[in-house]
Amino acid sequence: MATYDFLFSSLGLEEWCSEGKSDAPMTMGALLNKSKGTETEETSIWELPFPSMDALNESCAAFPKSRELTKGLEEGFLAIKDSLSVVLDPLTQPLSWFLDGALYGMLNTPWWIVIPVLLGIVLLVTKSWKLVGFVAGSLCLLAFIDYYEYAIQTLAIIFVCAFLCVLFGVPIGIAMSRSDTMQRLTIPVLDMLQTLPPFVYLIPLIFLFSVTESKLYGIAIILYAIVPVIRLTNLGIRLVDKDVIEAANAFGMTSRQKLFQVQIPLALPNIMAGVNQTIMMSLAMVVIASLVSAPGLGVLVLQGIRNLELGVGLVAGLGIVILAVILDRVTKTSLARIDTSQKQ
Amino acid sequence: MDQDIKISIRNLYKIFGPTPDIALEYVKKGMGKPELLEKHKHVLGLEDINVDMQEGEITVIMGLSGSGKSTLIRHLNRLIEPTSGEITIDGENVLDFDEERLRKLRREGMSMVFQKFALLPHRTVLENAGMALSVRGFKTEEFESEARKWLARVGLEGNGDQYPHELSGGMQQRVGIARALASNSPIMLMDEAFSALDPLIRSDMQDLLLELQEELHKTIVFITHDLDEALKLADHLVILKDGHVVQQGEPQEILMNPNDPYIIDFISDINRARVLRVRSIMEKTTEPPEESAGDVSEHDNLESVIAKSDGNTDLVYRVTRKGKQIGVLDMKVLFRALVPTEAATEDRASL
Repeated sequence: MATYDFLFSSLGLEEWCSEGKSDAPMTMGALLNKSKGTETEETSIWELPFPSMDALNESCAAFPKSRELTKGLEEGFLAIKDSLSVVLDPLTQPLSWFLDGALYGMLNTPWWIVIPVLLGIVLLVTKSWKLVGFVAGSLCLLAFIDYYEYAIQTLAIIFVCAFLCVLFGVPIGIAMSRSDTMQRLTIPVLDMLQTLPPFVYLIPLIFLFSVTESKLYGIAIILYAIVPVIRLTNLGIRLVDKDVIEAANAFGMTSRQKLFQVQIPLALPNIMAGVNQTIMMSLAMVVIASLVSAPGLGVLVLQGIRNLELGVGLVAGLGIVILAVILDRVTKTSLARIDTSQKQ
Repeated sequence: MDQDIKISIRNLYKIFGPTPDIALEYVKKGMGKPELLEKHKHVLGLEDINVDMQEGEITVIMGLSGSGKSTLIRHLNRLIEPTSGEITIDGENVLDFDEERLRKLRREGMSMVFQKFALLPHRTVLENAGMALSVRGFKTEEFESEARKWLARVGLEGNGDQYPHELSGGMQQRVGIARALASNSPIMLMDEAFSALDPLIRSDMQDLLLELQEELHKTIVFITHDLDEALKLADHLVILKDGHVVQQGEPQEILMNPNDPYIIDFISDINRARVLRVRSIMEKTTEPPEESAGDVSEHDNLESVIAKSDGNTDLVYRVTRKGKQIGVLDMKVLFRALVPTEAATEDRASL
């Protein structure tokens, strides 16, 4: 006897309940109870279970258990998976090409070309020799302890993903800033993407794509990291001085002229802050994505956990910190340069 | 008047709220601003505005904050859409314009100067001055000489390559004026253009505007809350209160014959001797006076005449226009004109 038997008997559903009973195998617990003969023990009010799916199932076998709900979700997902793959596979295929291309390109170019090119980019965007020195020192340190290859893989993935985040995120942010409906619809999605535990991204993706494809982790990183650039583009454009917009209107600017000559230039500091956040979040995700075969420093961290190789894990973690500091400093310094060139 | 009417506003209403059309019916039946707000949650912005603005004149629209003056000026280039009414510029109804035609009007027909300058902070002073031209599709090299010319005209020769934030407020507003002038539009809208500046600079800018107007003869619509500024600049003065026109006309005329306690209150604090001019109080006659103490111009203000007479009330002056006599001015009349309007004294006595 279970607690909620009365509910089904009062509703006259006993017959429907017993239909499900027949072929269900007896659980271990029930078997034990039966053998002990303690089945009929009354439950006190203190142990009254919440009328949850599992509790109701005890009284009525035809009532679904909670596992059946999640199972239904799985089956539903598997049922649409094939048709979904037909659409998503070709759409996301370029992502695999980009990632594989970037990884191949950066790994097969000799270090004495890659490092100077990276330093050149740093100098170009920051105009700061101090920072170039710091980046050079960090990269050489990583290379000296033979972590160069892993670090470069991580960087390559971040470059590709952050670039795609900006490519898609900025237009989405602009669209949000222009329409309140669009903003209302997008914000819950962004909230969800931002609060969903990073591991959860991986689950549906594993079902959809094969683990050997690099787009699997690419999508996970982009979904996770695109949020700040969208948010801050939207915010930046909405924060542009109303008086300046009015002046642009009064002088007869088209909405296109307004967007490219007024709104985007004035929102640029905010957009760049979004890009900085996006890069940092890509770095966070690329480590977790090593669970689904993303190469890079994350693999070493994982190896450290799996094989209890404390040193490997710690040094890889340190490498990630160094990369984070490099990326953050470089983007922040270039952001500061934009800021000073257009103070209000 | 021998000039043409450039801008004409007829029966203009503006009501802010979710259903302005319904609220408009109540207003037309005579419901006032407070009642409309309380019963129907609509704000009466403008009520039955009828103003004609002459070509080549400065029309000043004056009122306190909340009187609807900024709303009114934004109707002229349709930054705000009216609820009902008609605005004609050169005989064409602006409200019938489609987007393309409206853009052309904003680009070539009018330019605007803003209270908070509203310059583009990421562009140089030169690029800001040429904004109207760059909007029309000209490249920097093409509009550079034009923009430099107007910058020089407002006294900013060497500042072309600076950014707006490097300039002081007064200089920024000079850029704003250069920007409006460089568009070469016949109409200039100035929305409290000098209100954010300190008094000395404001006075400088007013002189600059009058000086420019002397040679350019644009149709200027100037918004202000400052009566002294209004009287200094206006050819035609429109006084707004709570969204309707209280009185409009020549400023001297309003000063001598205010028709509303609101205006009397307004003008009671000003220096009448400085604002009133000889022509508005003189006796019109071509007969020379018996004993003329000298000639004064019709445009002289009373302060200068008092200075000239050294305070002697027995003198009589000949008033001349281009050397010919058009009237006489008795100093006694002059001093009587300095007494605040009768209504004002009554108004004060009753307080």
